[in-house]
Amino acid sequence: MADTISFLLDGKVQIIDFSRQSHLKPTTTVLQYLRDLPGHKGVKEGCAEGDCGACTVVLAEPDKEGGLSYKAVNSCLLFLPKLHGKQLITVENLQDGNGNLHPLQKTLAEQNGSQCGFCTPGIVMSLFGHYKSGASAERDEIEDTLSGNLCRCTGYQPILESAQLTLTDVHSDHFSAEQEETRAVLNAISKDSLTLKTETQVYYLPTYLNELLRLRSKYPQALLVNGSTDAALRVTKNHELLPAIIDSSNVRELKEVQASGGKLRFGSGVTINELLELTKERFPAVSKMCKTFGSKQIRHLATVGGNLGSASPIGDLAPVFLACDARITVQSVNGLRKIRMNDFITGYRQTALRPDEIIRSVELPLIKPSVLIGAYKISKRYDLDIATVSAGFRVELDGDEIVQNCIAAYGGMAAVTSRAIKAESFLNGKKWKRETVEQTLPLIRESFTPISDARSGAEYRSVVAGNLLLKFYLDTQNK
Amino acid sequence: MIPSNMHQSAYKHVSGASVYVDDIPVQDQMLTGFVVYSPHAHAKIVSFDLSKAQALPGVLAVLSAADIPGENNLGPIVHDEPCLAENEVSFVGQAVFLIAAEDEETARAAADLIYVEYKTLPALISLEQAMAQNSLMGPKRTIKRGDADKALAEAPHIVKGRFKSGAQEHWYLETQTALCLPGEDDELFIHSSTQNPSEVQAVVAEALNIARNAVTVETRRMGGAFGGKETQAHHVASWAALLAQKTKRPVKIRLFRDDDQIMTGKRHPFIIDYEAGFDDQGMLLALKVEQNADGGAATDLSFAILERAMFHAENAYYIPHVSITGRVWKTNLPSNTAFRGFGGPQGIAAMEEIIDRIARFLKKDAAEIRQKNFYQLDKNNTAPYGQVITNNNLELIYNRLTDSSGYFEQRREVNGFNAQNEFAKQGLALMPVKFGISFTTSFLNQAGALVNVYQDGTVLVNHGGTEMGQGLHTKIRQIAALEFGIPLESVIVSATNTSKVPNTSATAASSGTDLNGMAVKNAVERLKFRIAFQLAQYFNEKYGVESTLDSHVMFKNGAVFDATDAARTVSFKEAVQICYFRQLPLSATGFYRTPDIYFDREKGAGHPFYYYAYGMAVSKVEVDLLTGNHKLLRSDILHDVGDSINPDIDRGQIEGAFVQGLGWCTTEECKWDEQGNLLNHSPDTYKIPTIRDIPRDFRVALLKDVPNPGTIRQSKAVGEPPFMLGISVWLAIKDALSAVAAHQLEPELNLPATNEAILLSIENLRRRQSEHI
Repeated sequence: MADTISFLLDGKVQIIDFSRQSHLKPTTTVLQYLRDLPGHKGVKEGCAEGDCGACTVVLAEPDKEGGLSYKAVNSCLLFLPKLHGKQLITVENLQDGNGNLHPLQKTLAEQNGSQCGFCTPGIVMSLFGHYKSGASAERDEIEDTLSGNLCRCTGYQPILESAQLTLTDVHSDHFSAEQEETRAVLNAISKDSLTLKTETQVYYLPTYLNELLRLRSKYPQALLVNGSTDAALRVTKNHELLPAIIDSSNVRELKEVQASGGKLRFGSGVTINELLELTKERFPAVSKMCKTFGSKQIRHLATVGGNLGSASPIGDLAPVFLACDARITVQSVNGLRKIRMNDFITGYRQTALRPDEIIRSVELPLIKPSVLIGAYKISKRYDLDIATVSAGFRVELDGDEIVQNCIAAYGGMAAVTSRAIKAESFLNGKKWKRETVEQTLPLIRESFTPISDARSGAEYRSVVAGNLLLKFYLDTQNK
Repeated sequence: MIPSNMHQSAYKHVSGASVYVDDIPVQDQMLTGFVVYSPHAHAKIVSFDLSKAQALPGVLAVLSAADIPGENNLGPIVHDEPCLAENEVSFVGQAVFLIAAEDEETARAAADLIYVEYKTLPALISLEQAMAQNSLMGPKRTIKRGDADKALAEAPHIVKGRFKSGAQEHWYLETQTALCLPGEDDELFIHSSTQNPSEVQAVVAEALNIARNAVTVETRRMGGAFGGKETQAHHVASWAALLAQKTKRPVKIRLFRDDDQIMTGKRHPFIIDYEAGFDDQGMLLALKVEQNADGGAATDLSFAILERAMFHAENAYYIPHVSITGRVWKTNLPSNTAFRGFGGPQGIAAMEEIIDRIARFLKKDAAEIRQKNFYQLDKNNTAPYGQVITNNNLELIYNRLTDSSGYFEQRREVNGFNAQNEFAKQGLALMPVKFGISFTTSFLNQAGALVNVYQDGTVLVNHGGTEMGQGLHTKIRQIAALEFGIPLESVIVSATNTSKVPNTSATAASSGTDLNGMAVKNAVERLKFRIAFQLAQYFNEKYGVESTLDSHVMFKNGAVFDATDAARTVSFKEAVQICYFRQLPLSATGFYRTPDIYFDREKGAGHPFYYYAYGMAVSKVEVDLLTGNHKLLRSDILHDVGDSINPDIDRGQIEGAFVQGLGWCTTEECKWDEQGNLLNHSPDTYKIPTIRDIPRDFRVALLKDVPNPGTIRQSKAVGEPPFMLGISVWLAIKDALSAVAAHQLEPELNLPATNEAILLSIENLRRRQSEHI
């Protein structure tokens, strides 16, 4: 196994040997790395938790179509090994060889899209990521693109207008001109598994599933990550030293997707952004939850496996996966196991995973036309906010509109994602109509004793949890 | 080159080339400064031991209050805010010890080695608690006109209520940062992200017990400030300076986001009790207001902020009998501080609630009640504190905006929507702002400038104002270029520096361009006077006829010429060279003080404002009655900036301020637990607006053809006034909620109107409605 990482920055392949460069650790973030370089001070730290976007950079890597895929990500949430085999692009790299600003930069400046300028490099990079990925000037898409970029000065209006101008008129830029060369350089970087060691830390970056399973079996105490958007906070916010990390983000088998007969199966390494696209047609409730998941930058990194595996009571996917009756396939060196979503989460941040197991994939079974599914997320702000309450609902209606197999699953109401069993039993066998639903609301409220915290008080959680079922009912009537 | 109206740093901003304090290259001797702060809201420091921390390799200094050579104070006005806590801590986040170390990791390790024993004391962690315990910060203030009690007793109708608003975190993108470089003797050079370099200089000099002439403070730009760096940038600068003085090495302190949110003050929470009397037509007869502000643990600017809240208690409305009382209360929270609007938003929001309640009581459109009560042009035009309101544009703006926004048509549409929708209601609101321009502490209304002209015809401008993104330097550059009659490219406005322009006021109170623009103009005029004198002589000598008078010499289009004789012309550069060889000083200082303003605090009367800025907004929202979420469908703004020096920048200020205002009114919420710990201490839980939260349809216009007499290029200040227009969003939400109970019940909704507050308000309405029936 190789013990250095290689990536492209400023037109050169940069090699980091952690055993020699003592000021760098595998868990040093790309933001920290860049801030220490003289030529990349444009990359800013605004929060060090992925909540402001001032540190946004773009990662490019060869795609299957012979081009390059570009993704805007938060450099504050990115451990250095994640650069391996990729091109790192910062705001300083956008000008062409003659020092001309990229059209995105020029228009943003000339449309008064910056005031204090501190958030601006991040905004430029988010827009650049979008520009290089089949950009559209639809307002909703621009809002998605900038969902992870806070600006406190402009009120966003000139940024929006500038983006609408540039994205309707996408040209090739110097990155397009250099595409073949960049691909060749990146393809030449070995994709072998890496073991990166320092005196205090070991970071495994396996390429193949069997290696990952062996590592998991050998080091059950090591922290298993994929996008590591959550794990990074332990470093940037809690200043923890994570002694052993297994990073599964390079394992191709975990990115496999299969769709057949109305079923959809996707690997745990599929990102939220990919899941959003995959589920748009057949599982719109899942796609809807993905759209409010973190920000675009976070959705580019965060994965299905990470969100399920963290078993957070406010994880965005668990309630809607419960409603979809998702099946989780887990795997160890000893083989595969299938677990129903209902049995997967066992306690506060506890799952049915055994120490040597990983989440391999998730399967969403075919949804019959008689089944109605809905998902809702309540947060103080639409974008880049954690759920105050989230809900996933399922009802199956027979020919007489009688409810069967009701699921009312909630996040944010208890220490684990929980179902309102009393309410479900009450609804089963009754007619799907407003009166029945309204009679159910008090049962939902009675099912939980939510807490008051920084996000909201308990009373709001109780009231809104009930109302969401009514909202679901109304949405099923408005179809 | 930069197109003329652009922010002068815009190309640098978009390419990442703009330099902020944390980006300044420093030699490798630089140390990381680190602050250890109180974990308790109120406690006695029983004992502490720094020896283990001091002994850690890589640690250069660990300081406590005992190590401060000068005065242990950060308070700019009242000296009640220790630089480092001594004997007692009075809020969570108060600095207690300072560490200078080779790197951050070492500093954190050292912090863990500090032993300190606290004995906790009872703490006041809310405004309500402070009021209940009579924890006053200082004497109450009053402004009175007529006999409010009598008029209220005689009024046909009364509304009475309590308005509350919460804290707002500034959330400047760049956290508080300072870099201090020690020099010879006592000398210190401080790069500070501050709105107030002169006060940083003063506070540092006092804390370090050195003279002010040894301290130079420089501010290139800030990554946002919004009032949060008016006094509280002093803190990190003083701490970095103490560590640099001690270690004789450069020290940088950059607060981590959570620490910044925990340690620094916010917009003052207010509780305002009001009672207003009015007649059947909705004409205001009397107003009695008691304003209470949460000052936090130290005075800071709280009394000036309270004063401005009191000055704006009646907003844009003439009320014959008025009684305004204001109090600041002391709590065990970080000292609350300046924030765009400076008390104005709280005072105005309460008044607007009164108007809405009157309208709902009388079943009339609130916009019409507002218009009826506007200050008039010839009568009913005196503010409660005695200032006659001149150049009043309220009626003009109202007419133009109700027209351009289709207000009454929108009203009909909203009513139609509400009649047809059970689970969603729309709301509409128009509201005005009248905002007094000037520091209400009159002596602060002064500014200085230094203008240097070089032999190549280029001009370097320094002035006392600081650049925080608002485009001040861009406007100043335009002013200097226009006054000299030279191209923009010939002028540079450089970093603000206390050694170039001394004794300046904070860039605050929206006054940056008004004051500094005039000071720069003054300096340019002095230079032009000198150049004109020499050039008249030069022309007369050259052409041998004494026909050019000084007063004939004009500066225009890059040339200096005799307006009466086209032949007599030289380029600006040649003129400068002529003056140089004739041994003329080509550098001048400029100065400005705002005329005719004064205020007597004892009497609560005077002429505190040089003029007023006016604006109005119409906002339309749709509220989801099942979740409390709302959508901001449309906002129309018409704002008065006089003759705009830079319409693009002014529009940016209006849009930005409005969105910040709607953040204060909706999603931005600070909560503390019972121990005084801030729960929303990072952007994870503190939510400022994102791009999706701005109006779906956002129409901003500047009021045309109404120049402002007596100001720089007849312009008006713009930084703060539009912030208050964000209140229109809250009023529109309340209008929507009012529709829930068919406008029969007054919705209860304070600030911020989060989805939680909105849904609970709906629940409350439904409860009252069922009791009603």
